[in-house]
Amino acid sequence: MNFTGYPRPDGSAGIRNYVLVIPWGFLPARICDFVDGTKTILTPDSGSGRTSRDRETIARTLIGLGRNPNVASVIIHTLSPGAGYPELKPARLAEEIARSGKRVEILDVAKEGSTLRALEKGVQLAREMVLEASRLRRQPFDLSNLAVGVKCGHSDTTSGIAGNPVIGNLFDRIVASGGTAFFGETTEIIGAEHVLAKHGINEDVSRRILEAAAAIETIAKATGEDIRTVNPVPSNIAGGISSLEEKSLGAIHKSGSAPIQDVLKYGERPEGKGLYFVDNWMSMGSIFAGYAASGAQLVIFQLGGGGLVGNDLLHTSTAVVSPLLWTTANPKTLAMAPTSVDFYDGTVIEGKDTIEEAGGKLLQLVLDIASGTMTKVETLRHTDPTQIYLRDPCF
Amino acid sequence: MIARGALKLSEKDNVATLLEDAAPGTEVLIRLGKETGTVNAGESIPFGFKIAVTDIAKDAAIIKYGETIGIASRDIKQGEMVHIHNLEGARGRGDLMKGDAK
Repeated sequence: MNFTGYPRPDGSAGIRNYVLVIPWGFLPARICDFVDGTKTILTPDSGSGRTSRDRETIARTLIGLGRNPNVASVIIHTLSPGAGYPELKPARLAEEIARSGKRVEILDVAKEGSTLRALEKGVQLAREMVLEASRLRRQPFDLSNLAVGVKCGHSDTTSGIAGNPVIGNLFDRIVASGGTAFFGETTEIIGAEHVLAKHGINEDVSRRILEAAAAIETIAKATGEDIRTVNPVPSNIAGGISSLEEKSLGAIHKSGSAPIQDVLKYGERPEGKGLYFVDNWMSMGSIFAGYAASGAQLVIFQLGGGGLVGNDLLHTSTAVVSPLLWTTANPKTLAMAPTSVDFYDGTVIEGKDTIEEAGGKLLQLVLDIASGTMTKVETLRHTDPTQIYLRDPCF
Repeated sequence: MIARGALKLSEKDNVATLLEDAAPGTEVLIRLGKETGTVNAGESIPFGFKIAVTDIAKDAAIIKYGETIGIASRDIKQGEMVHIHNLEGARGRGDLMKGDAK
């Protein structure tokens, strides 16, 4: 079971081949306007006025995106409001990304003399780097070189019965072949954490899964609000989900049956391969960029969608450098969003496929997409901003 | 196998998830693996929503996936829909913390 990918100096395999320009700001925005094959992270989270813990999270995200195998080379500019903090100094970001052996260039605005002169330099540099990247050719890689992250969204009761178990089967297949799979959404393990903790590879991992759930529940209770007015979100309730516990017990099925190797922070890169729980937030605008920073070349959006009221579904990838694959097991969602859904596994509910059969078909699609076939939403240029998962107050 | 009716996910479950819309009085096939039974829908229950497969007393646990998904906030009759009007989640309830040590 192979895919073809772009070989990187650290031995990893890119399923896409971008030049990344970071952090977000005027220069990356204009460079990406001018130069095809470039990407940037659209986010207001520069680190300015943030605690050291949050600045480190931003740095981890930027470094992780730079190291993502889908990135051929990186330009870092010095014009970001957060660039003066030790965690976010361009030289530090460059050094950590360059450890992967990739070309990293710093666009020094002071040295160029003005922002517009720096823009000209950046455009020419990006063009040169895109040309360089385009000379690479795809080569065969086995599945152990693939990392995938999942979020289940707009969950309804099809999610727990079919949509998530099929992802779980895909994850089992990827992990059994030596690959890597990420899942998370800590609020949405509340009520199911005792089930998930049994999958920890050792007592320490099991304990940290329980601690992650307890920590977020404590914060939730401290708000004085009924969590049911927050999460399950209104579309979950409209889709038949009655409580956070029910949502969580359905959600954890997407993790499959492999042992959980570790509990990772948002954007943290794992030390090994296998299945990982990421202590993150469920938001579309946040979670996918975190998975990409952890090293996922592909991210999956497993939809319920039963509670959706329109056909204007346009969630594109907020993973910056990693394409987004849509799956659903709800026939109504498929009918509502046929131009976005890449894979339909409501066949499990209809009795036409077993979960194993659907998982096998999904793996074939994943290998195709890893080899260059675009996902449906990947054809769109629009992307929403990324909200980096910051935990502290701002000052 | 014809996939119709409602799905139980564990033997312990006292609710099943509808795989099609059920009109009041319809006999709903309840499936758990190869085992089947029937329950009469007491009201209109849409696709994806839950039907009580037994009577559930107020304050009893409502079980799906073999695990507790909430507590019955009133007596529920077999065949009734189970949702937020008669099921209370118990976790993350900051509203129940009011009046606690402050």
